[in-house]
Amino acid sequence: MKLFRSMRLFFSFILVLLLFSCKKDNEIVPVDNFAFRKPSYFPEPHYTFQNNALTRSRFNLGRDLFYDTILSLDNSISCASCHSQTHGFSDHNVAFSAGVNGTLGVRNSPALANLAWYPSFMWDGGVNNIETFSVAPITNPLEMHETIFQVVGKLNANAAYRSKFKAAYDVDSITDQKMLQALGQYMAMLISDDSKYDKYRKGTYTFTADENEGYSLFQSKCASCHTEPLFTDFSFRNNGLDAVFADLGRGLITQEAADNGKFRVPSLRNIQITYPYMHDGRFFTLSQVLDHYSTGIQSSSTLDQSLTSGIPLTADEKLKIIAFLKTLTDYTFMANPDLSEPVH
Amino acid sequence: MIAFAIAGLTFTSCKKEEEETPTATASVGSVSINLEHKWEDEATNFTLNAEYIHPVTNDTLNFTTMKYYISNLKLKKSDGTWWTHPESYFLVDLENESSTKLMMSNVPVGTYTELSYTFGVDSTRNVSGAQTGALSIANNMFWSWNSGYIFLKAEGTSVNSSTGSYSFHLGGFTGTNSILSTKNVVFLSNSTDVVVTGNHESEIHMITFPDKLWNTSGSVSNTNTIHMPGAMAKMMANDFSNGIVFEHVHN
Repeated sequence: MKLFRSMRLFFSFILVLLLFSCKKDNEIVPVDNFAFRKPSYFPEPHYTFQNNALTRSRFNLGRDLFYDTILSLDNSISCASCHSQTHGFSDHNVAFSAGVNGTLGVRNSPALANLAWYPSFMWDGGVNNIETFSVAPITNPLEMHETIFQVVGKLNANAAYRSKFKAAYDVDSITDQKMLQALGQYMAMLISDDSKYDKYRKGTYTFTADENEGYSLFQSKCASCHTEPLFTDFSFRNNGLDAVFADLGRGLITQEAADNGKFRVPSLRNIQITYPYMHDGRFFTLSQVLDHYSTGIQSSSTLDQSLTSGIPLTADEKLKIIAFLKTLTDYTFMANPDLSEPVH
Repeated sequence: MIAFAIAGLTFTSCKKEEEETPTATASVGSVSINLEHKWEDEATNFTLNAEYIHPVTNDTLNFTTMKYYISNLKLKKSDGTWWTHPESYFLVDLENESSTKLMMSNVPVGTYTELSYTFGVDSTRNVSGAQTGALSIANNMFWSWNSGYIFLKAEGTSVNSSTGSYSFHLGGFTGTNSILSTKNVVFLSNSTDVVVTGNHESEIHMITFPDKLWNTSGSVSNTNTIHMPGAMAKMMANDFSNGIVFEHVHN
């Protein structure tokens, strides 16, 4: 019996070995039952792991890096410092996050979820690929304040990382490319699809009366920008926060005056626990957000056409929309041990 | 015994479909592009950490950094078809003399009448994620907050600048602010063709003039820093890339 079991183990090992040895670099191949899973009602993902085939060891390596302070100048902060799993991979309910030496950033740390579907990143869409994304927080003086050259040096000086990169990418010397690709794998696997809303879509949860009414209101008043099932259409819009812009947002990237004051429509997944809201974290409650849309819209030359007269909402409608928004909270995602800080 | 069988299994399962056949020794040669850097005219060598007076602005300039990308080298055969150099990305860095020689190996033997190259990095590589080699982000030629390669970095000190220094990071691969430009050099009109013979290096000699950056853009007393794509970056980059001249071929 014991022999039989060990033989079985042995042959699964061979099978894994065969899978590993034959993987091509341009296709998604499940290795030891580890694969990218697209929920049936999600669109096709933007990131396809091209030239960076998904494997367990690469994902694990990316996870190690995500939780490692080695990426910062003084080894004080990691990606997870401002993107905490228990907070929907946003910061711990602060408007601006502290970088090395406690310097504060200038925009609210966004919640991370379903990034494989994002065509661009950041509040202003300045980053065009999930692989090159990490360069921004690593090198930003207000965040990790480190250089890519230095990080690669620190990693190469670390025997444990050298062997992990060898196992994951078969390289003897760690390069920034492999580091960024591994981080990209972990981030692309942050898939949130088990909220009450998702269970409703899968037919395993029935909305309460309030949630259901809130859903209908949401669909008629919010969904044109916060498009299901990702709850963003990935566009950049001025949602009437200010008449005069302290932060030009998208305009800083395109240098077009027509884009001044515009920011990415944020996804609403896990919105209940990822407060404060807006690019500058000015609202701490969902009530404040809905009050803004109903009565607080500030007019300016780039204000979104759909908001020129605000979104009329009664007090009761606001409560129901909030009831629906809370169905986007994904506790499975926030407790998923596969995404948690590894214990070494 | 079983271990050997497994080893055999994994090896055979990975056999490539095409077996590499040893190339006949005389079927390929190499071609290099040798970039010389001059100031104002061909008689004045340009180096870092030396003072130059600009012929147009009269600024006194002392460069600490001069780096730029040349990519996508192609050679036109006498039959009109193009040979494309694979993974063709070069970072020319005046701090590193060897980087001024752009080497193409495994060029099929034959006569070539024209060279095509791109100043900068093509748009595809600007949006395709983490790259390696000359395009490694560790080379510090990449904008993190507004993704894209810095095609050219010119930094230094100048008494004419209000801050005492200047820093021009020129880039932009899309829209009206794109500074990508593809250049063609026809050999016959200037000199002889490139004749590639087996196990031999043909040399194409070209000259870059860093002073061209300020041909029309004006003094560093007006603008001493550019760190994003835009109209002035485009003016400087175009003057610079248009100022790269073909010198001669040495077969």
